[in-house]
Amino acid sequence: MSGDPVSAAEQPNVEAISVEVLEEIAERNQSWPIMAAKYGVENPLPPWKTSLDGLCDALDRSCATDDPLNFTFKERRDEEDALSATRYANLPYPENQLVALAHSLVARGVIDETELQERLAAIRARLVAE
Amino acid sequence: MSDRDHDHDHVRTVKPMVDEITDFEVLEIALRELCIEKGLFTAEQHRVMTEYGEQIGPTPAARLVAKAWVDPEFKKLVLTDALAASKEVGVDWLAPTGFGTPSDFYAFKVLENTPNVHHVIVCALCSCYPRPILGNSPEWYRTPNYRRRIVRWPRPVLAEFGLQLPEDVEVRVADSNQKHRYMVMPMRPEGTEGWTEDQLVEIITRDSLIGVALPKPGVTTNVITASVPAIRPIVK
Repeated sequence: MSGDPVSAAEQPNVEAISVEVLEEIAERNQSWPIMAAKYGVENPLPPWKTSLDGLCDALDRSCATDDPLNFTFKERRDEEDALSATRYANLPYPENQLVALAHSLVARGVIDETELQERLAAIRARLVAE
Repeated sequence: MSDRDHDHDHVRTVKPMVDEITDFEVLEIALRELCIEKGLFTAEQHRVMTEYGEQIGPTPAARLVAKAWVDPEFKKLVLTDALAASKEVGVDWLAPTGFGTPSDFYAFKVLENTPNVHHVIVCALCSCYPRPILGNSPEWYRTPNYRRRIVRWPRPVLAEFGLQLPEDVEVRVADSNQKHRYMVMPMRPEGTEGWTEDQLVEIITRDSLIGVALPKPGVTTNVITASVPAIRPIVK
């Protein structure tokens, strides 16, 4: 991650921060319309979409109750909208929403970028395990 | 059943799937696991929210109204031949899947709200509802409370849903029956100028299609409204 250091006490300029692992994912663009066309699938949305919705809703509740995220429901959703329209505008919905959410969480220091990279590798290994 | 029959059945019924693990699928799982490990929410809370979302996602009915809002020709079709219009959003009332029973499939009419007329639907007799396009009816729709009272005192009942209409707006209650199904086409709200059909779909909630709510920018089928914890929560 490059850019200004993030302080939990202040509002970071998340759009200005670059998250390398997410840039790579956006660049590779395995988005649903492309994958669905490749496999002849008709479903309009990827199967993880409702789980992402559940994740966002659960986070919203987390924002609203004990505030461990240090940013509010509205700030997080606004940030998601802003990032989807700017840094990740080349991705379709809901891929842009997912990557924007990841960007917010990394840029705000909720999730560490190295930690995320390691987890992505571990999950991929788990999913392809024989 | 022989193996051959079994194979044949799968060929006929199983749709193709994406047989590849994508970065996005992995990213969604990673974020979720890390959030859970950091104590932001539990796996069960996530499951509950996901289940909720799966039940309330935009319906074909929302798509129908959004298309009508952006396409005047399609709107004419919706108002004159709602069964034909339904087919354009993927719902064939004569060959439905998932929802509905044969008794649902006789006639379907979409009622257009105007600045002076607001519609709301009910089935005073039982629980008739446009299920093929709107999914299963809400619990309250089937209660005698709603069924009896909306036809007698529509304004007070709508107010109980938080919908208070000006006096100069006439309220019309459409009573469904075994041969007729109704749905409301709400007016496109201010603040949605230039929106895409997909954006509009998100705010056309189930309740606005029943007529107990009005669509509003920012209020989507997916919103979780602020709530206050119960004073005496149920202890399991």
